[in-house]
Amino acid sequence: MIVLLCLESPSPSPASRAALCLASTLGDKAEVVVLSAGGATGSASFELARQSAAVRRIVHLQDTGLREPDFFTLGMVLAEAARHLEARVVVAGQHTDIEGQGLVPAALAHHLRAPLFARVQSATLPPSGQGVLKITVRAGGKLCTVASPLPVVLSTSEGELGSMPPREAGQSAPTVETLSLAQLGMAASLLVPRPGLLGILAPAQGHGIESKSFDESARILLRGR
Amino acid sequence: MASIVAYIELREGAITRPSRFVVAEARRIADAAGATVFALLTVGPLAQVEMDKLASEISAAGADRILCSSADTLDGPALDVTHGALLAQVADHLRPLLFLFPAGGSGAQLGPPLAVRMGAAYMSNASMDVYAEDRTPEPASQRVILSRWRAARDGRRKIDVGDLERPVVASLLSGCFPPPAGDPYAEVEMVPCPDTKYPDARVIGSEVDNAAGLELCQSMILSGRSSVAASDAFQAGLPDGVCLATADEADLQAIQGSAPHNVFVLPSAQSKLDAGRPWFVPGTAILRVEGVAGSEDADADLAEFTAALGRARSQGDAS
Repeated sequence: MIVLLCLESPSPSPASRAALCLASTLGDKAEVVVLSAGGATGSASFELARQSAAVRRIVHLQDTGLREPDFFTLGMVLAEAARHLEARVVVAGQHTDIEGQGLVPAALAHHLRAPLFARVQSATLPPSGQGVLKITVRAGGKLCTVASPLPVVLSTSEGELGSMPPREAGQSAPTVETLSLAQLGMAASLLVPRPGLLGILAPAQGHGIESKSFDESARILLRGR
Repeated sequence: MASIVAYIELREGAITRPSRFVVAEARRIADAAGATVFALLTVGPLAQVEMDKLASEISAAGADRILCSSADTLDGPALDVTHGALLAQVADHLRPLLFLFPAGGSGAQLGPPLAVRMGAAYMSNASMDVYAEDRTPEPASQRVILSRWRAARDGRRKIDVGDLERPVVASLLSGCFPPPAGDPYAEVEMVPCPDTKYPDARVIGSEVDNAAGLELCQSMILSGRSSVAASDAFQAGLPDGVCLATADEADLQAIQGSAPHNVFVLPSAQSKLDAGRPWFVPGTAILRVEGVAGSEDADADLAEFTAALGRARSQGDAS
């Protein structure tokens, strides 16, 4: 079963590292394919993917139209790539600035017409490769086990998952395959950036840390300031 | 008139504190900028008397109108597969300027897919401010600004709702809310729940999430690792909405996902506090509690804070 891991380039966010860890826990039935879009192929993201024992293929979507896509467009392109690669499970990080805090996985799920689950803690593939995926998600104050039909999109947050099994010595790392928009049947003219949805950037000023005594702190706490 | 939708999250059948805060924030923005506050309540099958009780609380928190949807599929946790179609239907009907989620995780599950369906911007763990823009001789214009930390915490992202020309979906921090001030008898409109697109996706089990309280807390006390006895004794004396968190890796994810209004960092946790890296939400006040520098005795910290709370309570009673 193809498990597609979306990894941003040039460097992976902590949430994407968590996504890679999740994909790495899915066992031998999972053929983990790393997918990135835009940027160069020699980046830290590809190096991380090469280090993981679970990763079988690395695919890079390369097209001039992917230089600065907005979240919605990127989600659409990744969904087409997921179809092209016949992915049944798609995993992506949720909380980096580049991803718009979960908009890319959401747009991907929307275009793939697949259910989306955020804050995923673990996942278990169906034994036969068909049927439902069992997922544990953090929702409603509980750790919920959910059965979902395939294909499905899962997103992870920073620091949610464990370590990634490294590639053993002598185990060859996959080379990077490239894929173009034309191969996906998409025209670059479709990729119209929508700037402004992230908001404007402002300095981080004004986040001072005040010092207080125990008694002052207790009074503030009880006042509910 | 523009509308603001405030999503109400229930836990164990009760409205969460962050949900009351979201309604109060929506009210504050609506009063300043001129808008109608809709509260959206999603519940499983519920007796009318229970629904009326919830509606009365939401109304008193500041909602003008309450939209309530009741269905078997809405009985579980808020997930896009169960709740998404309903939220999209409400957004399509009202075309709100702002769609707000409370702290607690419902925003992370429901916010991004809703924003995609609405073509909206999305901000998680955001703060909201209103300021008057001088347009003399015209009357001042009220600007609504949402801000959040960048993922790298090296700056803020800000959205001026009036300038964006698109709606904004946002989840807010868990802040203080004023005493009930609204009309406790706001109009309640029942909304049919549309069929889910994914009927085969279902919750098949759940277990307690030990970090669930951190998601909702209004004030967080951050300490080093303490003994279980000291931790239990300390937490037993804390007011509602206040939680104790341990600044170690076990709680890291829950701490990062929380959005408290203020955080008290005890001496035993201060080595973990990176002063150069903003935490939480732009509106969060971080207070470093002064004590013995370099102390790692978390039990002593908790005992000292318990004593200080006792003194503060007795002073409050005396005054």
